[in-house]
Amino acid sequence: MTTFVEILALKKQFGDVKAVDGVDLSIQEGEMLVILGPSGCGKTTLMRMIAGLEIPSDGEIMIGGQQVTKLPPRARHIAMVFQSYALYPHMTVYRNIAFPLKAQGGLEKEEIDKKVRHAAGALGIESLLDRKPRQLSGGERQRVALARAMVKEPSVLLLDEPLSNLDAKLRASARDELQRFQRRLGITTIFVTHDQVEAMGLGDRIAVMLAGKVRQVGTPAEIYGESADTFVATFLGSPGMNLLEGAEHTIGFRPEHMLPVDGAKIREGTTRYIVTVDRVENLGADTLVYGSVDDGTHVVAKIASTLLFSASTGDQREFAINPAHLRYFDKETGRIIAPDAQ
Amino acid sequence: MSVETVKPPRFSILSDNERVLGALMLAPAVIFILALVGLPLVISIAFSLSDVTVGDTSLDFVGLENFRRVIRTPQFQRAVVDTVVFTIVALLIILVLANILAVIFTQDFHGKWLARILVILPWATPIALGTLGWLWLLDSKFSPIDYVLVQVGLLGPDTLLGPGLHLNYLGREFLAMGSVILVHVWRLTPLSAVILLAGLTSIDQELIDQAQVDGASGLRTHLQIKLPLITPIMAIASLFGFILIFTDLVVVFVLTRGGPIYYTQVLSMWSYNKGLEGGALAEGAAIALFFAPVLLVAAVLILRTVRRIEVN
Repeated sequence: MTTFVEILALKKQFGDVKAVDGVDLSIQEGEMLVILGPSGCGKTTLMRMIAGLEIPSDGEIMIGGQQVTKLPPRARHIAMVFQSYALYPHMTVYRNIAFPLKAQGGLEKEEIDKKVRHAAGALGIESLLDRKPRQLSGGERQRVALARAMVKEPSVLLLDEPLSNLDAKLRASARDELQRFQRRLGITTIFVTHDQVEAMGLGDRIAVMLAGKVRQVGTPAEIYGESADTFVATFLGSPGMNLLEGAEHTIGFRPEHMLPVDGAKIREGTTRYIVTVDRVENLGADTLVYGSVDDGTHVVAKIASTLLFSASTGDQREFAINPAHLRYFDKETGRIIAPDAQ
Repeated sequence: MSVETVKPPRFSILSDNERVLGALMLAPAVIFILALVGLPLVISIAFSLSDVTVGDTSLDFVGLENFRRVIRTPQFQRAVVDTVVFTIVALLIILVLANILAVIFTQDFHGKWLARILVILPWATPIALGTLGWLWLLDSKFSPIDYVLVQVGLLGPDTLLGPGLHLNYLGREFLAMGSVILVHVWRLTPLSAVILLAGLTSIDQELIDQAQVDGASGLRTHLQIKLPLITPIMAIASLFGFILIFTDLVVVFVLTRGGPIYYTQVLSMWSYNKGLEGGALAEGAAIALFFAPVLLVAAVLILRTVRRIEVN
């Protein structure tokens, strides 16, 4: 695989606010890269700069080996789907999909018609072509937006939280559909979201952003299992990683790696903590146990309901953690410390 | 044990009765409309069907005689043509200029607030005063416009605009008509621009971003995305402009009084000339009533457009 989109030391400043503060990122041809971060982290600004809707304060953007940093959107051969889908409300679905082709110019009417029908066919919306956007459901709108994005066969597809307007059930199936669609076309895709479930489920790789900077780039397994710093560790997972202050390092472990000791056979050599239980939350498949260890630090344990664990407020329970699941972070910088350096 | 029945105070009975209260609350508005709109309309219809004059105020029914007589006069025919021409030409120019201004004001630039104030001034100025200013600007002898044209070499002997040193704007047929249109454009463009600006700024920014990403140029985005989206608002602006120009008396009254001869005669001016200056109340009323069907259509269109905006 070759690098298709290259972002070098990209910065964007609005007044005193550094929205994007020196981002380097390379996106491989045909991959789905998810940019994940809390709201206000600069992920949408980064996306808008790639689209050409914002001019960077500094840095470079290359698409397909071509310098595009200062080019307007129409010269970049990209397509974008916005959070609201931004369907033109006064146009029928057909005219919406045809719009990028007409704007591009140089195509015969028959050719446009063929491409519009092909794109609509690929997304199963042929029967909606004569409708206006307001007559469509959320899921249908999303397909129309996608068809409009794909119709001019862009080399990069940018998606800005395109699933957040769908209800929970539809979102799962739309996610699945989107992934199949992207794989089939093999189009280089950048997907922005604040939803980690979406990011873990969709991304070939994930770039985690905070305060204008990319904190870690990696596969979903890498960023979850080998989080680069305390921010990524606590941002990912629900709930996020527990952090305790050790003598030399900050010690981290995920809630699902805490096993209740009582009754169960626990191997020797495990790390153990006594937890005073504050609150127990039964989520059906899992039970969340909120409590604090002896130095007062709050921790959360996530226990599979199959373990038949029960506790009530004020109880003291012992939990064990396999040392292989412990992570060590630098107290100053929050960066992870490699196992051999511990 | 005796139960004491509590008698509600009389006042609350009245205010609790929705029919009485509703009628009471509506009364001021109904009386206002009947007295200031309904009554004059009835009186002018009565006048137009009678032989009333300033000298003989008895109402004798004459049927449609007044209308017949009025229609035959060349002044009336010219007034109808001029009213329509002034309205349509001015409105078209206003829409183009207002669009340009509105687009300019959606951009950020230095001195924007000052430019905004300057643009809105003509609308804030009383029409009569503004038109008086134009009367001086267009004066046959002292027009500063003529002076500037002479200085830049466009007016005077051996120049593009002829040998004389004065164009005499208000004394020549087409220049006078143009002058009336110019003043209408000057005073109504700001209002339309502000209405259109409100429409343009209400368009979802994502739609405009989307058009850019879809590869549309600025002009295509304006014509195919923004304009269609503000069509209802533009229709309202046009209809208001239409009514204001169509019924306007002040501009022609101050600028030309309908002259030279009757080349800039409009319906309102002619109705005033006939009915009030000339004392022929019946004919004046008949002329004024020619407004009614046109304004009725305009009002219906406005209401329908407003409802369409609400539905969307």
